[in-house]
Amino acid sequence: MKKLNRTYVMGIAFIVFAVWVAFQTALIPEKLVSNEPGPKLFPFISAIGMIIMAILSMIFDGKKEKEENEHGAAPYLDKDGWKRLGRIMLECILFCVAMNLIGFWITSMMGMMMFIMTLKVDKKINILFAVVLSVALGSLCYFGFTKGFNIPLPKGVLFEALGIRMP
Amino acid sequence: MASYLSALGVLFQPVNFIMMYICSLVGCVLGAIPGLSGGLGITLILPMTFALNTNLSFAMLLGMYVGGVSGSFIAAVLVGIPGSAASIGTCYDGYPMTQKGQAARALSIGITGSFIGTLVSILVATFCSTFIADVALKLGPWEYFSLCLMAITMVVGLSKGSIFKGLLAAFFGLWLSTVGSDMVTNQLRFTFHNTNLYGGINVVCLLMGTFALQQVASSYAKNNLTMPEVDAGSLKGFGFTFKDFKDNLRVIITSLFIGLWIGFLPGMGSGISNLIAYGQAKKMSKHPEKFGTGIDEGIWATEVANNAGVGGAIIPMIALGIPGDGTTVLLMSAMTIHGLQAGPMFIKNNPLLANLIFATVLISAILIFITELLTKRWFPMLLKAPYHYLYSAILMICFLGAYSASTSMFSVYLVLVFGAIGILMEFFKMPSTPLMLAFILGSKIESYFRMGCSYAKGDMTSFLTRPISLIFILIAVYSVIGPLISKMLKKKKATA
Repeated sequence: MKKLNRTYVMGIAFIVFAVWVAFQTALIPEKLVSNEPGPKLFPFISAIGMIIMAILSMIFDGKKEKEENEHGAAPYLDKDGWKRLGRIMLECILFCVAMNLIGFWITSMMGMMMFIMTLKVDKKINILFAVVLSVALGSLCYFGFTKGFNIPLPKGVLFEALGIRMP
Repeated sequence: MASYLSALGVLFQPVNFIMMYICSLVGCVLGAIPGLSGGLGITLILPMTFALNTNLSFAMLLGMYVGGVSGSFIAAVLVGIPGSAASIGTCYDGYPMTQKGQAARALSIGITGSFIGTLVSILVATFCSTFIADVALKLGPWEYFSLCLMAITMVVGLSKGSIFKGLLAAFFGLWLSTVGSDMVTNQLRFTFHNTNLYGGINVVCLLMGTFALQQVASSYAKNNLTMPEVDAGSLKGFGFTFKDFKDNLRVIITSLFIGLWIGFLPGMGSGISNLIAYGQAKKMSKHPEKFGTGIDEGIWATEVANNAGVGGAIIPMIALGIPGDGTTVLLMSAMTIHGLQAGPMFIKNNPLLANLIFATVLISAILIFITELLTKRWFPMLLKAPYHYLYSAILMICFLGAYSASTSMFSVYLVLVFGAIGILMEFFKMPSTPLMLAFILGSKIESYFRMGCSYAKGDMTSFLTRPISLIFILIAVYSVIGPLISKMLKKKKATA
């Protein structure tokens, strides 16, 4: 099977993105201040810079990668690796959504346990210790920040909607 | 001198001394935890100081500042995640050294480098503050713009792999820095009516996503689940010999000057100086190809430079009333709260407090140095914590850190986005450091450029007609073109 040239993919993705940036920049209303280039200049410089560098990278690095692929360069991740990456990212998304819905305290304890169970892979762990650690660390962070440092943490929109007061 | 001795007398009063020491230790711990920092510590104790006397307040705040910068290398060395932007460069050689089983050596170099950086810089600040500030007054936005540009191109030049991918990452970082309200006309850019973006993208989110989340996710995906071994044999003493120190003296002295210079330039802090010092050390080295594999010079350069920025940042704060970095902005807020006016008259009007600030930094640095050396053998214990416990805690603290930086769920979601971007960049073999640096400097570059144009009545050639600005621009151009030319020459030589 022909290997994907990552540099070409990157180059095309950045060119498309830079064109979008340039288009959005053109829509920014110009508020002129005398002798001053205005708010559009730097976004335009970024967009043009991205396009030029993406093209140069495709020409020089793309060619190099093509040769490396022909010589059998190792892939970034194998099939299982992609599955593992998908799983950990999904769990992070779940953590963030739960943090908003049920608050930081409960999420930190449950989320920490979830991360431990994922990251342990095939290792045997003491479940009781993992539970105690998750509860202790989650509670320490929550009460340390909310009570000790007076930094409010999410209490959970779900609990707020139900009228349940979290500590 | 009499005023300095009086300041020392005040500092050694039991309450002041104990509180300063406690704050130094707390700052050190906060600095070591990725996502938290000494700056967060200062923010947290600032409301407490309302009720305290001025001397005690500044002893605590400065102790926290020094501790935060000193501690940031610990996580960079042990787990390859910088405690703050000040230690990004330390990851490059500190972590590989740990992976080679020389964690204690890497820690010793970090501790000693941090101490030397803070010690020398604060002595310079104490004795040369007024003179150095006079020099800085002569620089204008043209020089600051060129300096920022040079900082970015130097980092791109030293990044691994393709220079084009490094520049691409830098332009992407520059665009990210333009998101939010434009500082001159207040025009909103790329906010899409989202109020969370009006103030721009929070740097903590970028740091947490592209460094911490990316590292944990990528390690798990690649099945790199073994923690590096601790070199138990070198846990005692310094971990390196006097000869090792002597061999690196040139790098240490150069990094000291870089750290001091960048530290005292307004708006530039240790987040930049450590990377420039690393790049310079690599350029000066007889074996630049060994950088990134865990060599001493890499750690000396970054740790001396970032801590030298402490003294450097205090100079413009005290003498000019201009903050040298983000944390000194907070210290200046504390001055305002206590009814003090930082600026050229500060030392004259408040000699005791000015000297107390210098003395606190000096004594805190000495105390932290001794404490870190004595407790160094416990730092690598972190590595004995199983991967699944350690990285689970890091993930949780990342999201917590992002939330506490802005008390908004939006920042937490941004960490996810930047985590995904970090993984994509690794997939595309793009370096993440130019992105980070361009993002941090982006708003400054833009503001200095526009100020320069405005002051010169729209004449953009003013950036090339001022000699210091021109020198910085030439170095910037050479940083990009130089490696390309040397690569071409090498290729030509090989084919000949």
